[in-house]
Amino acid sequence: MDTSAAGKTFPPYEFHVERGKIREFAAAVGDPNPVYRDPAAAAAEGLPGIPAPPTMLRTFLYEPQTSAEALGVKDWSFIVHGEQEFEYFAPVVAGDVLTGTQRILSVTEKESRRAGKLSIGVIETVFHNQRGEKVQVLRRTLIETGQRIAD
Amino acid sequence: MAQHPSFPSVNVGDEAPSLVFGPLTRTDFVRYAGASHDFNPNHHDEVYAKERGNKTVFGVGMLAAGYGGRLMTDWFGVPALRRLRIRFASRFWPGDVLTATGKVTAKNEADGLLECEFTLVNQDGEVIVRGDATVAPGR
Repeated sequence: MDTSAAGKTFPPYEFHVERGKIREFAAAVGDPNPVYRDPAAAAAEGLPGIPAPPTMLRTFLYEPQTSAEALGVKDWSFIVHGEQEFEYFAPVVAGDVLTGTQRILSVTEKESRRAGKLSIGVIETVFHNQRGEKVQVLRRTLIETGQRIAD
Repeated sequence: MAQHPSFPSVNVGDEAPSLVFGPLTRTDFVRYAGASHDFNPNHHDEVYAKERGNKTVFGVGMLAAGYGGRLMTDWFGVPALRRLRIRFASRFWPGDVLTATGKVTAKNEADGLLECEFTLVNQDGEVIVRGDATVAPGR
């Protein structure tokens, strides 16, 4: 990875929160919760609409690849997703149009006795909704190892 | 409407209602690929995955992360979740059965927040995902 990429920022992008994609995503993560399908069930939980499941904004539905490309990875088969964090500030519901802004928080290197030299990149995405409210912050940690990941 | 524990009723050490996912299938992996637009062929293309030294396709980490998210939202409700972190420990495979368990590790009376930890383990007890979360149950 390119350690000089730390601090880089990228143009904002839109994330349309669609009811059909929420239903599809909930089914894909094996979640039968009616709040993802039925407006009345969502309202009964105090939600202003059908909510996005908690990990849904970490997908490639709308996310541009520019931030990941800026890490300067030579071969993505040497990359593992080490960690993913979400902070939730306000509900994200069907019909919302979010704006995501990405930044490379850090790129660090360390020696691992088992895996050789590791590079660790952290990409942060801050999402605001159409009213300008900060709704979620995501941090994705990617680790570049010295060898392909295999058993 | 689902019932969730209120803040006063929860104590450190309380355990989440556990969840079992699987036996997982290649179809589960493909369904997640379609829903998330993560089309890394290691997760759906047997030929590609084997050429790169894998015994077969393996699950995308964010699918297991989604299972962890469900553990927390089933327990406390979607609106209560304030933070969720997932650390990917090991890969998972078709046929695996993942069991999600969690517990409350801290209770902050001043701000009404609980800290929780959870894990997903496979049928051999190997940890696939470790996670932690902050939740704000209703008072």
